[in-house]
Amino acid sequence: MTAVRQALLILLAALIPASLTAAFHPRRPPWFQETLAPGEETLPTVLAWGQNVFWVDARSADEYMEEHVPGAILLNLEDWEQLFPKFLDSWSPGKKVVVYCSAATCELSREVAERLRQNGISSVFVLKGGWEAWKVKKG
Amino acid sequence: MKLLLFILFVFAGSAFGQLTWETTEQTFNSKPEDKEVIAKYKFINTGAETVKIQNVRTSCGCTTAALNKTDYAPGESGEIEAKFTFSGRTGRQEKSIIVTTTARPEQPTMLRLHVYIQETVKIEPQFVLWQLGEEPAPKVIHIAVAQDAAAKIVSVTSDNPALKVKLTELKPGKVYEVQITPDSATKPAAATLMIRTDYPPDNPETRYAYARVK
Repeated sequence: MTAVRQALLILLAALIPASLTAAFHPRRPPWFQETLAPGEETLPTVLAWGQNVFWVDARSADEYMEEHVPGAILLNLEDWEQLFPKFLDSWSPGKKVVVYCSAATCELSREVAERLRQNGISSVFVLKGGWEAWKVKKG
Repeated sequence: MKLLLFILFVFAGSAFGQLTWETTEQTFNSKPEDKEVIAKYKFINTGAETVKIQNVRTSCGCTTAALNKTDYAPGESGEIEAKFTFSGRTGRQEKSIIVTTTARPEQPTMLRLHVYIQETVKIEPQFVLWQLGEEPAPKVIHIAVAQDAAAKIVSVTSDNPALKVKLTELKPGKVYEVQITPDSATKPAAATLMIRTDYPPDNPETRYAYARVK
């Protein structure tokens, strides 16, 4: 019985520094690992790419006109034939293309990204969390 | 006792009302002239209480879902009509409609719609690129006409004489190849390729492809 009590005490004593480390260590592992679909990237990763990003807004023209990521170009499937040449004129080979739409569950960004890849545009990514993720981060 | 509790838990849904769907998944193969598909998902309230449909949302703005009413008494049937407008989409498409009811608000029903959208004229890729300084070797765009479409490629032209095009018919009326060759890849250039068809006869469609040196 004494041995069990001692073991519990040691466990409790170990729990205190473990909790402090989990809460305050600068390189502590995340509690929840974000899962990414193929071709998807998180906003922190995209921001870390700096100027080497070409933003594509896959939402409607109205939503784009209201507000968009600075420098983003409008490209959606509805007006693909009009917008794709404009995309080609602005895009620079070598830049990473990041496509976003209006919500985490929105499929438009995935569709536009897939269409770009089919047309030989390399390094195309979908922003996880879409426009909302940008708004939360940038206010 | 445990078994009794388990049985009670499993069948609680039907005692309080639940929607049973005829099918939750539908597949369509569109024809070249189709612009949309409409799918109807039928259901019946097989529970003992009225079920209210609280929310119907779709995974894409291209799909709308319509519902005649929201409350369904026990034994009453209804349907959700989903309309998927193609708007330039091609190939295999998967859309979903998420239905939340009072029967199981925490567990919405996912209705799935699979559509294969056939293109009359398929252009692949729609874009060719030469990076500056690259060898100005010819690049190829493939054009395929759908099997059951009475369309032909009449001509392919470039709006920039510095990017030349040559159309070759590989399989009569069905498979074509367009070879694009830039005069040089030392300075930026852009061309729009106009791919003219003879379909539909009253207003023949022109499709576009693009070439860039940049």
